[in-house]
Amino acid sequence: MKESLLEIDHLSVRYPAPGGDIAAVNDFSLNLVAGECVGIVGESGAGKSQALLAAMGLLPRHARVAGSIRYGGAPFTRELRGRRVAMIFQDPMTSLTPHLRVGAQIAESLTHHLRLSGAAARARALELLRQVQVTDAERRLDQYPHELSGGMRQRVMIAIALACNPEVLIADEPTTALDVTVQAQILALLAGLKRERGMAVVIVTHDLGVVAGVADRVLVMYGGRLVESGAVADLLTTPRHPYSRALLRSMPRIDDPLDGPLHTIAGQPPSPARLPTGCAFHPRCERASDVCRSRFPALAAGRTDVACHHPVEDA
Amino acid sequence: MLEIRDLKVWFDVREGFAKSRPLRAVDGVDLELRAGEALGIVGESGCGKSTLARAVLRLLPPTAGKILWLGRGIEALDAAAMRPLRRDLQIVFQDPLASLDPRMTVGEIVAEPLRVHEPGLDRTARGARVRAMLERVGLSADVIARYPHEFSGGQCQRIGIARAMVLQPKLLVCDEAVSALDVSIQAQIINLIADLKRDFGTGVLFVSHNLAVVRRLCDRVLVLYLGKPMETAPTAALFARPLHPYTRALLAAVPIPDPARQPARLAATLGGELPSPLDPPSGCVFRTRCPHAAAECAERAPDFRPPNSTALATQRVACHRLEEI
Ligand SMILES: Nc1ncnc2c1ncn2[C@@H]1O[C@H](COP(=O)(O)OP(=O)(O)O)[C@@H](O)[C@H]1O
Ligand code: SF4
Ligand code: SF4
Ligand SMILES: [Mg+2]
Repeated sequence: MKESLLEIDHLSVRYPAPGGDIAAVNDFSLNLVAGECVGIVGESGAGKSQALLAAMGLLPRHARVAGSIRYGGAPFTRELRGRRVAMIFQDPMTSLTPHLRVGAQIAESLTHHLRLSGAAARARALELLRQVQVTDAERRLDQYPHELSGGMRQRVMIAIALACNPEVLIADEPTTALDVTVQAQILALLAGLKRERGMAVVIVTHDLGVVAGVADRVLVMYGGRLVESGAVADLLTTPRHPYSRALLRSMPRIDDPLDGPLHTIAGQPPSPARLPTGCAFHPRCERASDVCRSRFPALAAGRTDVACHHPVEDA
Repeated sequence: MLEIRDLKVWFDVREGFAKSRPLRAVDGVDLELRAGEALGIVGESGCGKSTLARAVLRLLPPTAGKILWLGRGIEALDAAAMRPLRRDLQIVFQDPLASLDPRMTVGEIVAEPLRVHEPGLDRTARGARVRAMLERVGLSADVIARYPHEFSGGQCQRIGIARAMVLQPKLLVCDEAVSALDVSIQAQIINLIADLKRDFGTGVLFVSHNLAVVRRLCDRVLVLYLGKPMETAPTAALFARPLHPYTRALLAAVPIPDPARQPARLAATLGGELPSPLDPPSGCVFRTRCPHAAAECAERAPDFRPPNSTALATQRVACHRLEEI
């Protein structure tokens, strides 16, 4: 058994609101093991980002967070953020400082966390840019973020994230805004970093194809909850949760046989301000019965762990 | 129905105090669209997809080239002369909410094109057409009195489609019309567009960066890179045997949710980045990323031509080395 690094247990996130609480995340747990890559999938509003931001202590003050977050067996503290656990986001522009040169931004985190001197920090910044395969790395050090392409900016963010040799990298939709060939480059880079450094990676995405390429394990979220989790090879080939299965079928893919209209899921994802009773997926589920409308299904272990009263049986 | 010859759309770009330079967003594109046909226009950001689509609708002035609509050149028509043609040229945008006027009710939004183009229609008849169209796109008629902000992204896209289709136009341009939607909603809208195209015989120009969606919806595909056509082919041929190195790279980069194959596909990724459209490479614009680039590729731009092999005659490709690779 590998050492577990980040342990998120029974995490929930609520926002008080006049018409009743907004339940952004409900009872989310994740035990991240050294060197593995976990993909978290779900449609917008499923709670993916909120769960990870809450785990990192990055939510606004009015968010009500409950649950336990531990790192290496001890409570997670802010000091670990940036050092042991680094995070990158969909839009690198929001995390980069616009008027600061790329070299200075990377160096800033080196001097802050590692107390490197100016010259040493610059040399290390250059080395980091090369590791994330930034072309023309020397010249890039003196450029500003807006002079870089989206793909280059994401590489710079990864370089900053790698500055302190973290054991965990959390990437929230890191390639959603990128062109498909650049997306493939960034994913290949992340897969390489995981392999070569033994770094654990959590990647949030709405694209099951992204998960298939880089993840070992996948968690599916719906209505703020984890509805299925399992090995990628199992979950993406024979999902047990009706939502995972429907999601997989409704995704257009370049290798499908085109032998009928695309599978659809009726209706739309629920608002966390008005979650359906029982299983949040019941208004859209083909397999729903009375019990689904009244009782929430607990996550139960099996070939994949699944929260469903009537999981899809193995064929 | 629609024919485009050597279309160019250039923009003047001023950077700081530097002299303005032309940005060749669309730089010599030919295309043809038959009635009832769907043509997919694909490529990565900045390849000129949206500019091309907007120029076709004359929402942007073309710099050079011909746009023949039903046999008539429309590239130089002024706004007044374009107006009567607009009933047959409709568009659906990427951002559903932003493209709907927030002060108008859904009923008013969908009735607007009827008011402009069929002023003879009385209130009752107009109302009936609006309700029928809303139902056709999957919205109940009671949405008429509500406002766009009360609806989700997918529903707003249905409203936008109803507005575009209420005149039963001959051409529907979809500019990344399903790109901002979640997977489960995207699937509904994809099927809706496919149904409408079939039932109304509407021609579709489908601009998208999502090749899997294009494969589902389109009869033919045009691949652009830095404003230039790289390859065009019937959809089945393009996906079964892409001939241009860029088309191949693009298809190889599309993630598929197959854990047995996707990691290896990822490892074989195309390198390099899109060059600045202000400073495109000489000769073949794709040469800086092309694994087959040779000396001649830097010297001369390749012709956009059918391959020598007659078996591939339905395809057209811009590559010097097409027969060797
Ligand atoms: N500050 C906030 N106040 C109220 N609700 C919020 C706030 N931040 C996020 N939420 C809600 O939490 C839900 C989950 O959001 P998120 O984690 O961002 O979903 P995902 O990342 O899966 O798209 C969303 O419905 C979102 O609107
Ligand atoms: S619990 Fe019921 S409604 Fe929910 S996914 Fe399972 S079968 Fe469907
Ligand atoms: S012309 Fe040359 S550079 Fe361009 S695609 Fe063909 S081989 Fe590659
Ligand atoms: Mg998110």
